[in-house]
Amino acid sequence: MILAVCGKGGVGKTTITAVGARALHAAGTRALVVDADPAGGLAMALDIQPKKTLNDVRKELIAEVKAGRRDEKDLAVSVDYLVAEALTEMDNIAFLAIGRPEDVGCYCKVNVILKDAIDGLGRLFDVALIDAEAGIEQVNRKVMGAVDYVLLVSDTSAKAVRVAETIKEVADRMVGGEGAGLLVNRARDEGEAAAASKDTPLDVLGWVPEDDTVRSFDASQKSFFELPDCPASTGIESALSKAGLIQT
Amino acid sequence: MGLFDEQLIEIRRLMSGMRDEEGLREFDALSREPWPLGRSLVLEEDTGLELGNPRIASLSTLLWTEDGDVADGRVTLAGPDIGEAQENSLPFGQVLIVRGEFANEYDYYRDVRDAVYDTHLEGFSVRTMPSRQTIWCRASTDAVGSGLSLADLGAAFIEALKSVPGVSAAEAFFVTSSASDVARLSPAATGAQRLVDAMMKMYQEQNFDCETCEYADVCDTVMDLKKIRKKLADDKAV
Repeated sequence: MILAVCGKGGVGKTTITAVGARALHAAGTRALVVDADPAGGLAMALDIQPKKTLNDVRKELIAEVKAGRRDEKDLAVSVDYLVAEALTEMDNIAFLAIGRPEDVGCYCKVNVILKDAIDGLGRLFDVALIDAEAGIEQVNRKVMGAVDYVLLVSDTSAKAVRVAETIKEVADRMVGGEGAGLLVNRARDEGEAAAASKDTPLDVLGWVPEDDTVRSFDASQKSFFELPDCPASTGIESALSKAGLIQT
Repeated sequence: MGLFDEQLIEIRRLMSGMRDEEGLREFDALSREPWPLGRSLVLEEDTGLELGNPRIASLSTLLWTEDGDVADGRVTLAGPDIGEAQENSLPFGQVLIVRGEFANEYDYYRDVRDAVYDTHLEGFSVRTMPSRQTIWCRASTDAVGSGLSLADLGAAFIEALKSVPGVSAAEAFFVTSSASDVARLSPAATGAQRLVDAMMKMYQEQNFDCETCEYADVCDTVMDLKKIRKKLADDKAV
């Protein structure tokens, strides 16, 4: 299963993905965890320093093409190799970061090959968990084409819930077929979470309370792999279980 | 004369030298029970043995001949096999040699190359980087425990190569004995890659301006490349 965590910027996608990675690590599930946000927050949340990013892979691939190696099969196996070099492994978890593009120019073929490689890699794991870039861009560009489930995250603001609905609409139009559900993050209580989601047509998976333990981990940049069980982790794991990513 | 004559002579010379120096083992791939095929991704925690980590030594090359000697179905090994390694990582050199008859070198190359790329053994993940001529493999702990050997890997490659139309014989040569032994294969592999790159460029770009081409030196010295260039230039003129 490939699950992408999507939503408006600042709603807590990275924290939710990090807690999901912690649960997968603890369960011993072979998982690919992808930081698809160029800001790279998930690597920080998990205290990982990737040796190489997908953007580095893309640059190396472009260099291959510029050096005259344009054969599609050679490029495809090269991507496999370079992506393997970019994986940071921690026991049963393999981590991949998208990195920050610094160059301009269209390399559509390179990007398509890269996307195909990531899609193929994801299927070699029991599950793949992706922390998507904020907003609709990656869904719109079909970067999430192989995703089976879109976990839409909002806080209790109406704006964040609307963005989640928009992402679902775009995903339905651009990709289609995958499941989706809304997780309301950082609610003061169940009543506030219910009020935030009462008018949405989205399937509501649950809510996550504001939690000082999570806040202190964020503030101190401690690895979320070391996060103790807390109300927020319980809420997140319950939603990920309903989505089918983890078993509780 | 063939495209890789020089490289084949060099590989045979090396094999002969290694046979005298440290001994080589030979296996008959054609009589082996095939190892199950399937694409795997072996994580570090599941790895029983790593082969060809580029930080240690890694090399892969594929050579073909139309009329040279190829020991059909033979897998030759210099160094420890997968189940015999004393360390958890070994240097790795892989040389695959094919004999066949072909009308078009480019199509033939792509067919035999794809047969290699598309061969995956269960519990054994392979990554190759053609431009660096490297191959980086991991055998899972389960696969090592179940007796996976380089003879199984060679047998799978040989079977895949022999399924390509026109191929009449295939053999595999693996080196795990030392990083320096793998490095001894490097001149032949680098030379072969230059020839392949030159051929690919000719077919893909159809540009025969030899004044500016970075492969002019290899084309000028290798008879088969000259023939390919002339044939393509003539075809283009028509």
